[in-house]
Amino acid sequence: MNAHTVQTVPAERRYGLRARLRATARSEWVKLWSVRSAPAVLEATAVVIVVGALVLSSGYRSGWASLSASERAAFDPTYTSLRGIELAQLFVGALGVLAVTSEYGTGLIRATLAATPQRTQVLVVKGLVLGAVVWVVSTASSFGAFALGQRLFTGPMPHAALGDPGVLRAVLGGGLYLTLIVLFGTALGALSRSTPLGLAALFGVLLVLPLMVNLLPGSLADRILPYLPGEAGAQVWHVMPPSPRSLGPWQGFALFALYVVVSAGAVLRLTRRRDV
Amino acid sequence: MPIGTTDTPMPAAQAQRPPVTPLSRGRAVLASEWIKLRSLRSLWTTALAGFGFSVGLSFLVCSSFQSRWHTLGAQAQAHFHPIDISLGFLQITSLFFGALGALVVTTEYGTGEIRGTFVATPQRPLVLAAKALLLGLLGFGLALVTVSAAFLLGQSRLSGAVPHASLADPRAAGAVLGGALYLTLTALLGLFLGVLVRSTAIAISALFGVFTVLPVLVNNLPKGLVWRHTVPYLPSNLGFSLWHSHIEFLVRPMPAGSTLALYVIVTAGAGLALLRTRDG
Repeated sequence: MNAHTVQTVPAERRYGLRARLRATARSEWVKLWSVRSAPAVLEATAVVIVVGALVLSSGYRSGWASLSASERAAFDPTYTSLRGIELAQLFVGALGVLAVTSEYGTGLIRATLAATPQRTQVLVVKGLVLGAVVWVVSTASSFGAFALGQRLFTGPMPHAALGDPGVLRAVLGGGLYLTLIVLFGTALGALSRSTPLGLAALFGVLLVLPLMVNLLPGSLADRILPYLPGEAGAQVWHVMPPSPRSLGPWQGFALFALYVVVSAGAVLRLTRRRDV
Repeated sequence: MPIGTTDTPMPAAQAQRPPVTPLSRGRAVLASEWIKLRSLRSLWTTALAGFGFSVGLSFLVCSSFQSRWHTLGAQAQAHFHPIDISLGFLQITSLFFGALGALVVTTEYGTGEIRGTFVATPQRPLVLAAKALLLGLLGFGLALVTVSAAFLLGQSRLSGAVPHASLADPRAAGAVLGGALYLTLTALLGLFLGVLVRSTAIAISALFGVFTVLPVLVNNLPKGLVWRHTVPYLPSNLGFSLWHSHIEFLVRPMPAGSTLALYVIVTAGAGLALLRTRDG
């Protein structure tokens, strides 16, 4: 055994794909938790989901008597208790955007890519780490919000149990939806490389597009709305479809996932070509 | 005065300088704030994007109502209100103006320029007042141009059987003016919010939360006692009162405008209190 082979064998073992993936995941994990904003944002996400359930459920509870028969028939207790997600998606989306853009802002990205020149791998691992953390936090919060909301629906109000058809899927769907939101944010952050632009793009697509479409004449709005990313993805945490034209829960979720995959694909292609 | 161009010794040259009066300081601060405002590229891109967006959306919405008029039911036709329809973009344009106001100060914090500003003018309230004054004037000008242009372009698309309005109609003029006032107050709210949070990312996320998520979340809740005393006072709903003709449960335009102004004043007070006690 000469000096040459002695050096190469351990080197290959040390720098193999699995070892590198593990090292990248660890460095992404460290980066996520070593800035103050990430834990704060995740806490805010959990708080907003649970407080949203409290506010909206008590709103319906106190005003139940004033609702018309058709409004009562359209009342979805599961969806109502989960609607804090609409506010939480702001936090989670911003977390995804900032996970990339703040590295560009501080210049840390150069160190990251010098340490791991496999750019695709860095982005994919970053997405996996963020997605896993967000999935855990938001799934747990969804269950908490659901339990809290259903406790508030008493008396004549309908309430849901996890065993009812579609309910468990909707509560789990809350966590899945927010996981896709963080990935969408990561992709748009990597595309724009700028915090304000990335945030504006993400929130523009998720929040402004439906408002714009709602300004159009009714029939036209009904036809476009179900296919918007946020509206399609949200079907997975509805038990009753909001409109007859809405996509099915998994259909809508798949369409939203497709939007995320397409933007992630664009990023992965671009990220190999662009200078840092 | 460069040394060497004159025989006068420096102390004498300093003595010749006019004394600093509050008026001259105010004028100097206004001048420097105006330079910073007008040289901020993101301010103009935001304003331009807001203008293009508003005009484009008004055009799109009015054109699609014009072309689909015959497919609308009798009820939808009866409920059609040309002023409200062509001004619907205001629900979203408020975001551009809020961001515009926030950027005026958060970019200064972002680049660290704010330190230079406060070294030059340690009177921090004066700096903030100058920023607010200039932003208020510039914002109102931009808002008025944006809203009127979008309104006129939108109305120009409506013709024939479709009801349409002109600025000669006092209700239309009032709605356009109310919309412009709403956007100006939103820009000021954004400015003081920017002072509070000092970060573009937080300010933009907060604006989206307050102006697009909160109303969607709570507007359709049952209209009980609590609802009537809280939801109409959301900034977006107060703005709605200022430009929309059909406000049902919401606040009347005059009190809505003054409540929104009160929000601006309270945020300004909070910003000022923090500005005086915080470093940098």
